[in-house]
Amino acid sequence: MVEQVTCLGCGCACDDISVRVDGDRIVEIAPPCPLGQAWFGDGTVPDKILRDGEPSSLDEAIAGAADLLATASGKVLVYIGTDLTTQAHRVALAIADLLGAVIDQATSDAAAAGLVAAQGRGRATATLGEIRNRADTLLFWAIDPSTRYPRYLSRYALEPVGTHVPGGRRGRTVIAVSVGTDRAPKEADLRLALGPDDEIAALSVMRATVLGNTLGELPERLRQVPDVARRLMQARYAVLVHEAEPSDERRNPHRTEGLIALTQALNGPTRAALSSLRAGGNRSGLESVLTWQTGYPLAVDYSAGFPRYALSSRGLLQVVQGGFGAALVAGSVAALATDTITTLARTPTVVIGPRASEASLGSKITIDTGVAGIHEAGTAYRMDEVPLPLRPPLSAPRSATGALSSLLAAVRARRARGT
Amino acid sequence: MSRAESLRITGGAVHDPANGVDGEVGDICIEGGSIVAELPSGVPTLDAKGMVIMPGGVDIHSHFASSSCNHARRMIPDEHAMDPAPAPRLQQDADGAPPRSGTGGSVPSTFTTGYRYAGLGYTTAFDAAVAPLMARHSHAELDDTPCVDGGIFVLLGNDEYLLRQIEAGERERARDYAAWLLQSTGGYAIKIVNPGGVEAWKTGQRNLTAIDDALDGRRITPRAILETLADAANDLRLPHPVHIHCNNLGRAGNAETTLASMQALSGRRAHFTHLQFHCYGGGDGKGWSSAGPKVMEYVNAHPEVSTDVGQVMFGPAMTITADAPVEYLLHKSSGRRWTNVDIELETGCGIVPLNYKEKAAVSALQWAIGLELFLLSSDPWRVVLSTDHPNGGSFLSYPALIQLLMDRAVRDERLKLANPKLLAGSALADGIAREYSLNEIAIITRAGPARLLGLRKKGHLAPGADADITIYQRDPDIAKMFATPRYVLKSGTLIVEEGQLRRAPTGRRLRVAPRFDEAVVPDLRRHFETFSSVSFANYPVGDLPGDPMPIG
Repeated sequence: MVEQVTCLGCGCACDDISVRVDGDRIVEIAPPCPLGQAWFGDGTVPDKILRDGEPSSLDEAIAGAADLLATASGKVLVYIGTDLTTQAHRVALAIADLLGAVIDQATSDAAAAGLVAAQGRGRATATLGEIRNRADTLLFWAIDPSTRYPRYLSRYALEPVGTHVPGGRRGRTVIAVSVGTDRAPKEADLRLALGPDDEIAALSVMRATVLGNTLGELPERLRQVPDVARRLMQARYAVLVHEAEPSDERRNPHRTEGLIALTQALNGPTRAALSSLRAGGNRSGLESVLTWQTGYPLAVDYSAGFPRYALSSRGLLQVVQGGFGAALVAGSVAALATDTITTLARTPTVVIGPRASEASLGSKITIDTGVAGIHEAGTAYRMDEVPLPLRPPLSAPRSATGALSSLLAAVRARRARGT
Repeated sequence: MSRAESLRITGGAVHDPANGVDGEVGDICIEGGSIVAELPSGVPTLDAKGMVIMPGGVDIHSHFASSSCNHARRMIPDEHAMDPAPAPRLQQDADGAPPRSGTGGSVPSTFTTGYRYAGLGYTTAFDAAVAPLMARHSHAELDDTPCVDGGIFVLLGNDEYLLRQIEAGERERARDYAAWLLQSTGGYAIKIVNPGGVEAWKTGQRNLTAIDDALDGRRITPRAILETLADAANDLRLPHPVHIHCNNLGRAGNAETTLASMQALSGRRAHFTHLQFHCYGGGDGKGWSSAGPKVMEYVNAHPEVSTDVGQVMFGPAMTITADAPVEYLLHKSSGRRWTNVDIELETGCGIVPLNYKEKAAVSALQWAIGLELFLLSSDPWRVVLSTDHPNGGSFLSYPALIQLLMDRAVRDERLKLANPKLLAGSALADGIAREYSLNEIAIITRAGPARLLGLRKKGHLAPGADADITIYQRDPDIAKMFATPRYVLKSGTLIVEEGQLRRAPTGRRLRVAPRFDEAVVPDLRRHFETFSSVSFANYPVGDLPGDPMPIG
C-alpha cells in the first residue's frame, strides 16, 4: 500500500489516495472515485522504443529524434501533454526554446478564454483549502461538480468543517444557478435558472447590484437576479464556482470575465473568491511553467528567437493547415482532436511519453515512458495552482524527464557540431 | 581565464568596506571559487587597471521567484511583448544549462531575471515573500533562475497555527513551529507581512492598522505577533532576524505605526523592510507629508534596527505583496486590474500594476521620502538599498538610484521635475548636500545586505569569501557605470566579460534548517489533518539542492 498518493484524475488533485499494489499492478485505490479509477487503471503501460516501427535502443532513438527535429524543413511543433511532471515540462520547454518551436498544449479554448479574461482584469481567487475553511456561501454557476470533480464538494467546498465554518455543511448556504442545460447541484438553498442568452445580462445586473448602481425595470426572467446578488453580499466569505473547461451548453465567451468582475466587486461589501474548475492531469502546472519561463501561460511561439504570445494562431490550429516540418509530442496524445492526429500522421513526429508506442501518428520515433504520479515522481499542480509532490506507486519503464533530458542533450550536441 | 581554477585580478581599486579597504589598488586572488590570500606567480591574470572592484551585489529584498510573481507575470502579456529577451550567446560547455530566451517587463521570466541580475553585477538575491504552501513553486523558479545564489523568506504572522499558539500563550511551540516551517520549506528567514492584517482581510475585518488592534474576536494583536516571531528568530539564532513589513503600508500617517512597531521590538534585532512605504505623515483628512526624517532619527539611534529603503523610481512598476488589503485599496483608487489570492491557513496575495509618475503628488512624495531615508541615514550598514523590486521599481533601476545618491546635481535636477505639492518643508526639498561615496555604495548594495543576512562568505573580498566579484569601468555617468559592469565573477567563474554575459551557471540555494523540539510535530499533524487541503506528509519540500547553511 502506498499512502498519500496524488491523483491527477481531475483538477482536484486529491493527495490523500491509498494505492494498493500487487506485483506491478494497481489493484485498488481508496477512497474509491470513478475518475481516480480511470486515472490509475491498473497502472500498466507499454514499454517500447520504436524507430520507424522497429524496436530500437534508447540511444539510437534519441539520436534519431534529435536528427529529425534539428533538420526539420520548416517550423517544429512541440505539443506538451498533461500527464508529465513539472520537471518534464521544464525540459520540454528547453527543447522547444532551442528549436525555435511553436508550443501547444491541452488548454481548452474555454479555459484559454478564462486565462485571457484574467489577464485583462486580474481576478479574485483562493486556494481550495481557503474555500473549505471560510466559504459560508457557495454559488455554483452552471456546474454540478459531482460528476467531473467527484470529491470537490466533500473535500474542499461544501461538507468539511473549516476554521471559520465549524458547522461544515450546516454552516454553508448554497446558491444554484443553472444556465440552459448546464445545471448546478440539486441540493441548494436558493435557485436561479437562466437561459444561455441571459447569463451575461444576469451577471451585469448582479454586479450593478453589488456596486449599488441604480437598476431600471428588469424583464421578468431577470427579476430574481438582484436577490441572488444581495444574498452573496450577506455572506461573510462567498465563493463562486464555475466550470473553466468546456461544457454541454454553448457558452457566452464573456462568462468568465463576467464572473471575475462580479467576484471582484463583491470584495467591496464582503469577501469573495472565484473557484475555476480545471480538468485533470498537470495542466495548471504546464501553464505555470510556461508563465515563469516565457511570461505567457499558453500559445507560446519561440520561432522568433524569443517567446511570443500567439493566441490567434495556436500550434494546433496551424497543424491542420499543414504548417510544420516536424513535431515533438511530449506526453500523451490522448487529448488531441481527430483532425490534428490525421494531419500529424503526415508530419515526421517524435513521441516521448506514456503509451507513445500506441499513438497512431505515423510517428518516426516513439519512446514509452511512465505517467506522472503513477510511475514518475516530481511535481504537479492542482487546479488552484498549488504544487503537490507525486509519490508514484509503481516504477516506470523509463522516466519522461530522463528521456526528454537525453533528447535535449542530443539536440544541443547536434547544434554544437553545427550539423 | 574564463573558467580558470585560479585567477589574479590586478590593478583595480578595491572597495571592500567589510575589510576596511576603501579604493586601494591591490590584487584579488581566486582559487576554486573562493578568494584566497595568495597565488603562485604565473596564474592567469585579469587586468582591472583603472577599474573599480567590489564584491558581487546582494539583493536583500526582491520579488522574483514566487507564485505571486507568476500571477503578476500572467497579468502583463503587453509588457512581455514589448521587452523580448532572446537567449544570450554563452560560451559554456554542453553540460551546463542551455541558454534560454524569455521576456522582460516589470516581472521578467525566470531565466531573463537571472541573466539581468548578473548583467547588473548582482550575484545573490532573496525572494522576500513566499507563502509556505507555495515554497515548492519558488524553489522550481529558483532552479530556473541562473547566475544568482538565491533563497526565500517564508511568510508567517497571519498563519492560523501561529495565531493559535499566540492566543494560547505557547511561545515556545510557536518558535518550534517556525523552525519546522523553515526546514520544511527550505526557507532562509522569517518574513512578517502586515501582522494579523492579512488574516483580518480574510475574515472581513478588512485590516489592522495599529499594533494593538485586536484581530476580530481573538486575543491576538500585531504586537504579540511581532514579539513572538522576533524572539523566535533570535532564539533560533537564524542568520537573518525577523524581516518585517509593518502594518498600515502605504497610508498617510502610517509612520506612527512604524515607530510603534520598532519600539515594540526595542532591544531585539529586527529588520524593517521597504521602510519608505511606512514613513508617511499626515493622516485621514490631513493629507500626506514626509515622516522620513522622524523615522530615520529613530533608526539612527537604535543599532538593533536595520532596514532596506524600498525606493520608488518613476516609471512602470508592479505591486506584488502578501499585504492583500493594501492591494484592494490600490485597485479601488487606481482603477487598475487586480489579482487577489487567499492562501489557506497562511497568508494572502495581492497584485496591481502601477506607474509612478513624477507629476503625481503622492508618487513624488514617495520618491523624495526614499531619498531622505538614504541621505539622513548615519549608518549605511543598517540602511541598505532596495526598490522592493518590482514594487517601487525594477531592480534594473538600481544604477539610476545609485546615481541619485552619488550625484547631487542629478538629484536636484530630478527634484525640479517632481510634483512639489506635498514636498514643501520636506528635508529633500530643503536641500541635502550629502553625496554617497563609492565605499558607501559598496556598503548599501553588498557588504551591508550580506552582513544583515548573516552571509559570512558574501559581501566581502577577504580570503575564504565566495569569489562573487563585480568590476566596473569608471565613468562620470554613475548610472552608466553601475548599469554595465565590465566583468562579473560568480563563484570564481567569469560570467560577464566586456559587459557581455558569457556564462550562466546554476546558483546555489541559501536556506536554513534550525533544530526544533519534535513534540510540535504531532500537534501540527492534527492541525493539518483538520484544516489543510494538503496532506501533512506532502507539505514539506523534498529534494532541495545543496546543504542548509550552518546556524549559530
